[in-house]
Amino acid sequence: MLTKNDLTRYERQILYPDFGEEGQKRLKQSHVVVAGLGGLGCSASLYLTCAGVGHVTLIDCDRVELSNLNRQTLHFEEDIGEGKPISAARKLTELNSSIEVTPVFKKITESNAREIIKGADLVIDGMDNFKTRFILNKACIAEGIPFIHGGVHGLFGEVTTILPGKTPCLACIFPEVPHGKVTFPVFGVTPALIAILQVTEAIKLLAGFGSLLTGKMLYFNGETMDFTFRNLVKNQNCKVCGQKMSKNEH
Amino acid sequence: MSIKVRLNPMLQKLAGGQEVIEVTGTTTGECLEDLESRFPVIKQMIRDNRGQLRRYCSVLVNSESTHPKELTTPVKDGDQIDIVVFFGGG
Repeated sequence: MLTKNDLTRYERQILYPDFGEEGQKRLKQSHVVVAGLGGLGCSASLYLTCAGVGHVTLIDCDRVELSNLNRQTLHFEEDIGEGKPISAARKLTELNSSIEVTPVFKKITESNAREIIKGADLVIDGMDNFKTRFILNKACIAEGIPFIHGGVHGLFGEVTTILPGKTPCLACIFPEVPHGKVTFPVFGVTPALIAILQVTEAIKLLAGFGSLLTGKMLYFNGETMDFTFRNLVKNQNCKVCGQKMSKNEH
Repeated sequence: MSIKVRLNPMLQKLAGGQEVIEVTGTTTGECLEDLESRFPVIKQMIRDNRGQLRRYCSVLVNSESTHPKELTTPVKDGDQIDIVVFFGGG
């Protein structure tokens, strides 16, 4: 049920014909997990909060560092040393006190990933390393939760929306998990832009309108300002989502 | 034989801004070698010291994964190869 405040606060998006009050109600009833509170996660959680997603869970195991501040826009100088989910949750709650924001200061692992995301309506990929992205991808497939992948490098970025059982997953394209965590070049604008595309996907998916970036990867090239697509095909032999996988293997 | 290789944005930069390069070969490996001979810096990006494809790179033929035959999948006239580089930052 939308309150009088909700109707005022979200008036401009409720005006959007395909969204309306029904779309706003759906956002309010939704629970989104933002995995990673770096450049992608900060911008993604900010716009999820602005849009009125009813429950946002923020998870990260890192503390704020000075070198984060060129892109991680929810963390300020005074937050250096604080856990990222705590720092981000404080700002988001000040921005929108009508939603529930749950900070989880924890590392995502093979053994806890499914428990962390269980019951969520979707997961936003805000990770900064290959390994955890693939853990999340696998956990989302196993739990049947949509996973909106985003990744950046320098002025380049990519986005795709993964619907378990319907679309290719990350392991369909990259069957072997790439090694390690690297310190990559990045401008703040790149994860901000990619995160906003991820949230655009989230709003449409949760409210049930528009078309999604499913079965294709959107690439952004900030050097040339080109947006390009690559079609992706589900790999029937995929170790994570292929037809040969039984439910027990998940 | 006309095989087109589409490069992801990071590789396009290494190929002078070109998105699509026409190559020759009967397998994905031969096509990549043709591409690398013209743009050696691409080889440094997509292969490790042993000449194996780096794990953050994937080779698709007509949008389908070639794993585990990334360098030995047969290709024919009109096929399209995509070299996908995973953007791992966040």
